[in-house]
Amino acid sequence: MTAVAYHRPACLDDALALLAADEDARPLAGGQTLVPMLNLDLLAPTAIVSLADLADLRGIAALADGSIRIGAMETHARIAASRIFAAGQALVPRAAGHIASPAIRNFGTIGGACAHGDPVSDWPVALVAADARIEIAGPAGRRGVAAADFFLGFLTTALEPGEIVTAIVVPPVPGRAIHLRYSRIDSDYATVIVAGAADIRDGICRSVRLAVGACGPVPVRLAAVEDLLTGRPLEPALVAAAGRMLAEAIDPLDDVRGSAAYRRRILPGLVARALAGVA
Amino acid sequence: MAEFAVVGSSAPRLDGLEKATGRAVYVDDMTRPGLLHGAVLRSAYAHARIVAIDTAAALALPGVHCVLTGEDFPHRYGAFVQDEVALARDRVRYVGEPVAVLAAETPALARQAAALIAVDYEELPAVMTPEEALAPDAPLVHADFAGYARRVAVPLPPNVCAATTISEGDVDAAFAGCDVVVEGTYRTQAQVHCYLEPCGALAEADAAGKVTIWSSCQSVFRVQATVAEILGLPMARIRAVAAKVGGAFGGKSDVTVQPLAAALALRTRRPVRLVLTRDDDFMMMRTRHPATVWMKTGAMADGRLVARAARLTLDGGAYAEDSSAVLGFALLIARGPYRIEHVRMEGRVAYTNRLRAAGFRGYGNPQVTFAGECQIDEIAARLGRDPLDLRLQNAVRAGDDWVGGQRIEACGLVDCLERLRAALPPAAPGRGIGVACVAHISGILSTSAIVRVLEDGTVTLSTGAVDLGEGADTVLAQICAETLGLPLDRINYAVPDTDGSPYNWSTGGSRVTYMVGRAVTAAAGQARDRLFGHAAEMLECAAGDLELRPGGRVGIAGVPGPEITFRDISARAHWAVGGPIIGSASVMFEGGGFDPKRSAVTGNGIGKLGAFVFGAQAAEVEVDAVTGRIAVSRLWAAHDVGRAINPTAVAGQIAGGVAQGLGYALYEDLRFDGPNPANPTLMDYKVPGATEMPEIIPIIVEHPEPSGPFGAKGIGEPPLVPVAPAIANAVAALHGVRLRTLPLTPERVLAALDEA
Ligand SMILES: Cc1cc2nc3c(=O)[nH]c(=O)nc-3n(C[C@H](O)[C@H](O)[C@H](O)COP(=O)(O)OP(=O)(O)OC[C@H]3O[C@@H](n4cnc5c(N)ncnc54)[C@H](O)[C@@H]3O)c2cc1C
Repeated sequence: MTAVAYHRPACLDDALALLAADEDARPLAGGQTLVPMLNLDLLAPTAIVSLADLADLRGIAALADGSIRIGAMETHARIAASRIFAAGQALVPRAAGHIASPAIRNFGTIGGACAHGDPVSDWPVALVAADARIEIAGPAGRRGVAAADFFLGFLTTALEPGEIVTAIVVPPVPGRAIHLRYSRIDSDYATVIVAGAADIRDGICRSVRLAVGACGPVPVRLAAVEDLLTGRPLEPALVAAAGRMLAEAIDPLDDVRGSAAYRRRILPGLVARALAGVA
Repeated sequence: MAEFAVVGSSAPRLDGLEKATGRAVYVDDMTRPGLLHGAVLRSAYAHARIVAIDTAAALALPGVHCVLTGEDFPHRYGAFVQDEVALARDRVRYVGEPVAVLAAETPALARQAAALIAVDYEELPAVMTPEEALAPDAPLVHADFAGYARRVAVPLPPNVCAATTISEGDVDAAFAGCDVVVEGTYRTQAQVHCYLEPCGALAEADAAGKVTIWSSCQSVFRVQATVAEILGLPMARIRAVAAKVGGAFGGKSDVTVQPLAAALALRTRRPVRLVLTRDDDFMMMRTRHPATVWMKTGAMADGRLVARAARLTLDGGAYAEDSSAVLGFALLIARGPYRIEHVRMEGRVAYTNRLRAAGFRGYGNPQVTFAGECQIDEIAARLGRDPLDLRLQNAVRAGDDWVGGQRIEACGLVDCLERLRAALPPAAPGRGIGVACVAHISGILSTSAIVRVLEDGTVTLSTGAVDLGEGADTVLAQICAETLGLPLDRINYAVPDTDGSPYNWSTGGSRVTYMVGRAVTAAAGQARDRLFGHAAEMLECAAGDLELRPGGRVGIAGVPGPEITFRDISARAHWAVGGPIIGSASVMFEGGGFDPKRSAVTGNGIGKLGAFVFGAQAAEVEVDAVTGRIAVSRLWAAHDVGRAINPTAVAGQIAGGVAQGLGYALYEDLRFDGPNPANPTLMDYKVPGATEMPEIIPIIVEHPEPSGPFGAKGIGEPPLVPVAPAIANAVAALHGVRLRTLPLTPERVLAALDEA
């Protein structure tokens, strides 16, 4: 075990400079993933760069177009408690409120979770469902990436070396929020997550978005499913067909949270339950 | 209950304040001047020959003081089979087995050094399940088994470390005459003890070579004896002291890391603390025995149960440890608390290349009771009978005999069932209710207590009983206080320390309140008699005319006037007449085997272990049709404790047992991926959380046990046992599907519903 430097820069540029100067430096957000990985000797960074003091990475605020900007350092708990989200966007605070247990939610951040890019975690699927944009700052400047293009696989994201997530922007989402998380016990990682939003009036689905999480390397969202459901009465057969399409599209593992076959087996029922909840 | 002043009151925990304020001292909080830190290197193979171990690189690190390997621990040990070694020697037998241990200046350095130890292995074929282990020509987990000393030296097939049968009556003939027979195979899993506090010890040797070991343990005397055996030292050179224990559940009843810490301390002549990480604890320590239970139960059309047969295969893991006793107890209890005349129980324990299976709250009982209580419901369904009614019809009563012939002295089982029935809500759509009973024992082996009256008339109570968090210290102090008519705050409960405490076998077997309580009652009674001896001289009356008065005073019965205080008496004893007042007592549950006229036994049959305890529970469940997930909304738990010395502590044991039973029923399962544990972390191995807990309704039943202190007997283990079958029975009541494999995962439930 060698000594690790610890930095706590006061502004974003200093943070980026520290990360640029040492490719084995790691940003530290809530530490809920980084610290366990250090404890298990899975990571051996030369320096830790705390993002705690970066004002740019704080705040949950509405933008002029109705989007909500969430600073990367906002904790799951603060996002869950926020009242700023509109009905459709509420899938975001609902996702936040279901992560792990209160202790983890009080420390863990949305930016840290996105950067970690764990496909069984709660944020990727929620942000893909919400069409969120991940704001990034790095040595080459700033850029934004759609959530669907950000989460690329198991612990793999679009972040380049030296880049950090600064914020997540959630656009207006029509309809009512869907967030159905199924896990072995409440505080466990999910076995299956169905996230999205739907605008259903008089039994007719005006618009819908549905993404499935924890069932493969990336969240699964199918235009064909959303097209199938949109503009039609939500008959059970139609909903079942949508569920089956998603069940075929997911690529889950067999693991302690459930077999791949089981996840496929329950997904259509969960989709139907999710849609019934907002009908 | 005005009958008693202290007994029967929910006195707060003696250590409640220090625990609630975070000031209780666990091993990991302890330090000594010059402390070194230990770390353990684990085996990466399930079965391999150790060709060579190179410790040079680790020893070369500045700050590393000593590295020990299997060669440093030449003595084999083991309660039933001497197959264990403190560190693997020549062979490793499971992934995670300790191979080397070292001491260094800091914990981080110790870990770093452990990673530098190079072990050259030659991998051997492994057996990961009893089926593999018992197959013809299977690789042997212990090639030298024939050479090991054994306590019960019956011939055994390869890879079997214990085999036992118990039979009574004529089972085959009885089955032939039954109107209904049910038969099935039930499977249960490896549950991990998951105590909050991982195993740890701090050891320090003095200049004369005597080692003191503070540790998280269930018995300082087991630590003393086993460390002495392992290190080849006389027990007089080992002192074991209990630290605060953050849970044990059977997982700390045998030694854990104490021998390693002691050896490092002796070698380095520095104090050494070795506390396992959660990771190490999962990989190195123990689980409950996974079991396959084939069982058959037969009844007459009128509901009378007449015969039961069972064949049990336990997975014992790589070392035998207590497996023989766990098997014996499982077979003894497998009949269940029913008047079944004809029984044949057979079982064996297989060695496998997995971490060892050990005693765990219930000690073989949860496995067989899962099978047995499911079968009672299966019979009830076949007969069209109410399952609770069927149990009442067949329930044992006081005066009945258990398998082996031991008389049941006190029995509140019928009462438990009646109270349960009165508490249960009417049937509601979408909700199923299932019932299950438990019989267990409370007792085992010996213990002792010393009560010393101090100069000022207050009292120090010494026993060897380690409180694991259940509150036994408080209960024993209550028993002492009641016997002497003192308020609880006049009793000092001494920390168990082999240098000063009287012997106690262990905190296990639901025995402390019953067994140690008996010793405390007797020792305090003796102190009281000696106080009376002085008082008789001081008051010039006959000792037989004296009575205790509240607050430590003695007066003449029926004469309100003259009285003297314990302080006066004790001062006299210390300074003038007779010497200090000390009461002491030793007790033994004089068990023994089976009545040969009634039972035929082969192998290690164990009978007459203690007083019988009984309980009955009901679970109310809902099943999610989409996912198959079971939610338990309410759980009624009626338990006969003889007498509740501390009702809050009893309710606490019920709640804790139900929580752990719920984990066993629904979630907990250490799985294997080839040779490796698949989920050896709290991230992947899930114990239930607060949100999973049902509303628990404890129902305390009191049928005083004649031999118990104030009629009390144990409650530590029983509440865990019936939870799984009660839930399985509730699912069967709701959906007509019979689940025979634990845990009752959503996946299994859904598969059963799909099939139905
Ligand atoms: C017991 C437990 C249970 C959990 N259960 C769940 C669960 O059910 N669902 C769930 O979704 N999550 C769960 N988590 C993970 C938790 O949500 C973490 O908070 C999250 O994964 C990481 O956030 P963090 O702020 O703690 O990041 P950190 O641990 O500080 O960092 C995580 C990684 O991201 C990097 N990083 C951090 N911030 C940034 C940034 N702004 N830009 C670039 N890189 C950055 C770090 O260098 C590190 O590599 C659980 C964690 C634990 C310990």
